Amino acid sequence: MIFTKKCFLASFKASLPVLLGYLAMGIAAGVLLSSRTGLGCFWGFITSATSISGALQFLLVDMFQNQTPLLTVALITLSINLRYALYGLPLLDRWRNLSLPLKLYMILTLTDETFALEVANNVPDGEDSLTYCFQIAALDHLYWITGVVTGCLAGQFLPFNSKGIDFAMTALFIVVLLDQMEQRGNRLPALIGAVSALIGLAIYPQNMLIPSIAILLAALVALRGKMEVKQDA
Amino acid sequence: MPENYAYLLMATGVMFLVTFLLRGFAFMAFGNGRKTPGVILYVGRVISPAVIAALIVYCLKGTRFAAPLYGGAEAAAIIVCVLLHKLFRNPLLSIAASTAVYMLMVQNF
Repeated sequence: MIFTKKCFLASFKASLPVLLGYLAMGIAAGVLLSSRTGLGCFWGFITSATSISGALQFLLVDMFQNQTPLLTVALITLSINLRYALYGLPLLDRWRNLSLPLKLYMILTLTDETFALEVANNVPDGEDSLTYCFQIAALDHLYWITGVVTGCLAGQFLPFNSKGIDFAMTALFIVVLLDQMEQRGNRLPALIGAVSALIGLAIYPQNMLIPSIAILLAALVALRGKMEVKQDA
Repeated sequence: MPENYAYLLMATGVMFLVTFLLRGFAFMAFGNGRKTPGVILYVGRVISPAVIAALIVYCLKGTRFAAPLYGGAEAAAIIVCVLLHKLFRNPLLSIAASTAVYMLMVQNF
């Protein structure tokens, strides 16, 4: 890896939109964590530094509060982050020659936003693409931790009424879903997800996500033939 | 909340491990040019909108339709979120404004 000022500035510039987004969402998640559970910034730091997952950072507040069984924690994490399983595909060849520790770090930090910037790979002429991507990954990682820890501190030490801030998570999902619905092929899966969740809520309200996800997976696989014809059309 | 730090550490470890293994999955499974099975590619493509829609239902499951506000705070915030996002396509604006609407309503009514 070759570090130059020009390359660093290019990475920083590319990461600016992520800076705004991660600080804002991280602060909301941090405030929720500390105001609901009373846990301090150590827990904000350790959870945000290791998982770097927006949806999970909100959902873990509920799980920490209820001491959700670890198997359920694993299943919830698996289902909300399953999309990551395919993120490596376009990066396989480009990362082939990375040293193992670096590769592991790049895998750890492969969030939606970092993935998008790394695939776009707008590296300046003559600069090293891997250095550029590594810097983006590290900056985004730092932004996310900073956001969550700041939120935890604010929730602990600033006396403000944070009641209702959990709607930020609902709004985050609505915004992501609206963007995905722009693609026609995503509309039926979204409908299947919503219906499955209502069934899950009806049959097992104590822990609705597990049956909901089982039902939606079964429905998606069962409808595979129909769905793929639709996407080709 | 009972401060069961051993549980919190284990839960944090589980979330880290599952997320990390998922992010590394493609590198482990297809690193040497093996072909990805069609059903995996298909599920990978369609699961995201399905799970996100299910999570929205999950987030809203605490809505109380029988008590004052009668789900009105949720309805107002969702309308603000969707409208702003259709108009401006700015995620931060949609999220911040709708959360503010929701907080104002549940704190003041």
